[in-house]
Amino acid sequence: MIVSLPGALPTHAEAVVVNSTSPLWYVTRATGLVAMVLLTISMACGLLSSVGYQRPGLPRFVTLGLHRNASLLAVAFTAVHVVTTVTDGYAHIPVQDVFIPFIAAYRPLWLSLGAIASDLLITLTITSLLRSRMTYRTWRAVHWTAYACWPVALLHGLGTGSDTRVRWVLLLTLLCVAAVTALAGWRLAVGWPGRPVARVAGAVALVLALIAAGAWLSAGPLKAGWARRAGTPPALLNHAAGPLVPRVDQGAPVGHRAARDA
Amino acid sequence: MSRAENGRRPRPRTLKVNPVACQGHGMCIELLPELIAADPWGYPLIAPGPVPDELLPLAQRAVNSCPTLALLLTSPE
Amino acid sequence: MLSPVSRLLPEIPRLTLDEHLSAYGPPPFADVAYDAAGLAPLIVAVEQSGLVGRGGAGFPAGRKMRAVAEAGRRGGPFHSQVGTVVIANGAESEPGSGKDRLLLRRAPHLVLDGIVLAAEAVGATRAYLCVHDDPAALRDAVTSRERAGLNRVPVQVVEVPGGYVASQETALVGLLNGTGSRPAFVPPRPSERGVRRHPTLVQNVETLANIALIARNGPEWFREAGTPFAPGTTLVTVSGTVARPGVYEVALGTTIAALLDRAGGPVEPPQAVLAGGYFGGWLKLPAAGEVPLTDRALRAAGATLGPGVLIVLPQSSCPLAETARVTGYLASQSAGQCGPCSNGLPALADALGHVAFGRPADDMLRWTHQLLGLVSGRGACHLPDGTAGLVGSALTTFADDLRYHASRGPCGRAARLPVLPLPVPPAPPAPPAPDPRTRPEALA
Repeated sequence: MIVSLPGALPTHAEAVVVNSTSPLWYVTRATGLVAMVLLTISMACGLLSSVGYQRPGLPRFVTLGLHRNASLLAVAFTAVHVVTTVTDGYAHIPVQDVFIPFIAAYRPLWLSLGAIASDLLITLTITSLLRSRMTYRTWRAVHWTAYACWPVALLHGLGTGSDTRVRWVLLLTLLCVAAVTALAGWRLAVGWPGRPVARVAGAVALVLALIAAGAWLSAGPLKAGWARRAGTPPALLNHAAGPLVPRVDQGAPVGHRAARDA
Repeated sequence: MSRAENGRRPRPRTLKVNPVACQGHGMCIELLPELIAADPWGYPLIAPGPVPDELLPLAQRAVNSCPTLALLLTSPE
Repeated sequence: MLSPVSRLLPEIPRLTLDEHLSAYGPPPFADVAYDAAGLAPLIVAVEQSGLVGRGGAGFPAGRKMRAVAEAGRRGGPFHSQVGTVVIANGAESEPGSGKDRLLLRRAPHLVLDGIVLAAEAVGATRAYLCVHDDPAALRDAVTSRERAGLNRVPVQVVEVPGGYVASQETALVGLLNGTGSRPAFVPPRPSERGVRRHPTLVQNVETLANIALIARNGPEWFREAGTPFAPGTTLVTVSGTVARPGVYEVALGTTIAALLDRAGGPVEPPQAVLAGGYFGGWLKLPAAGEVPLTDRALRAAGATLGPGVLIVLPQSSCPLAETARVTGYLASQSAGQCGPCSNGLPALADALGHVAFGRPADDMLRWTHQLLGLVSGRGACHLPDGTAGLVGSALTTFADDLRYHASRGPCGRAARLPVLPLPVPPAPPAPPAPDPRTRPEALA
């Protein structure tokens, strides 16, 4: 499916080099994308639950059930995503980089965002499974970190991901952002009636975050040479810039490895 | 825990709501209309008395679904 | 003629510690070691005396002390011993009651004796005396006792913010824990888990004063006054249209007529008496004069004893208007935590306004009765039940007036100066958002 789309992968038959780790790389990318979509569904259902949305055909317990199931599926896909990343030896990402941010050698900042997001996801899941053992206030305070987990995971995908410049992937990401932004805006509009200042501040923060993210996206991952600027180790860059690839800076990479690190 | 499983009657359990924690989400009213109705303001009105045995699993599901953990399934002391 | 009893309220105000000690002697501390199986002798004595709480709930004091003592003995990790806490409730927020204030002014050392004696009996390591006003004089009293070595536990005087529900026992615990002066859902009761998770004994100051006397004189002495089922004396605040409103100490079982007589009798033809305060009920006079002042007899008659409050209503007042005003006040006192209360009480006050000051139609009366059932027992505290009880009693006792209002509108007596006391000015009730579901028609 991914391989057949134009503009994403090499068009020259002789440039196709099948490496022994590439199936894992495909699984990493695929599960990462699916996890992002599932996290978005989870956020959306969570926000709909918060505003008390219901329809005759959509009682509130269904929305809540969807939220819980989407979250658990997201955890499952994230787990596969993490396992394939670690076992794929190409970028040498050891298991500690999965949980501890800022120590990775491969794209340290953007990978660390993934570590942070998965740490948050683990905490969210465990506290929700053990809800009855803690006070409601404690559970709720931890659950609020979901508002951080989702954007961090998204930025991780955009920063580390190999497919950011692929048109349909970008479209999918923008759809996810639009959905969560719209619902978060709705939540700000109807919730917390006694705190107008906090709500306005939240709305302003939301808009500023969108603008900042958009600016970063267009100046960062969507521009050529992102792999190097993101912190891909030089060895991998050189490998990518080897005999298979005459030029790396035209946004149309020709080799498997080059496509990955562009 | 039903009669069939161990041959003995389960302990009588009663549904109670913590009125401070309850914020009227109404999840319990949706999930257990046999025992819980809505008052004019959306808060749960629980039928008095112990929960019938056959409704115990559904009552437990309603307890698990409360967003604020306000619904309680208690044993009489 | 009724001979006045004066166990708690002496004729001459005994303010100073020296006067108190010369009259009563020092507090009789037990000084006995008792093992884990045995209870302090004071707890046994209080149980035998039959003393019940004088704060309004009427819970047996000995049973409460036993529960706290036992919780303290096994409440620590691995069932070890843990220190307990005593809270003396002098935060009198019932507008028609003045007995706690008077007791704390006239005989503070009797109350403080009760605090430290109860503290010793339940194994308390700390005590708090909660009041709404005048903490300075009480702090002086505590200091003078410390200097005399009479306080075996530290007693801290705490000022409680005003509000009808602020003096509820879990609200006091919440205030001391810093979580807010609002009632909490039970379980766990304060006797199991209260101030900083320690088992906590919450008793009204009058109850503690009685405990101090039982410790000196024994349970048989206590039972010499009152009736076999309602032993002892109690302080009653008599107000309304009587010649000498004030606080009177009477033996339980004294009839309402005898007490009103002591208070000088009504100054104008009386219509009814509100017994039990704003969680109580209405009784028509002169028939109610025969009712003895015990909780059991008053409940049988349709009222309560409560914290000992009697308010006489003259015939020139409209009882429905008075009840409507009080209902509005009680609705404004909702802590706002529980949906049925914070929504139902303002709706009830609104409905009663229609009943008292308008011409209520049948569906309005039906809606009012429906509200009584919708709020009762659905809050964390008894504010909704108490209010529903008061309103229900008014609608039953004054059924004739209700019929008059329904057919002819307001009776004109509502214009008379209000008799039932309300704090001035009452906080305006927070109106709930208008909801079409709350209209009476929606419930047809």
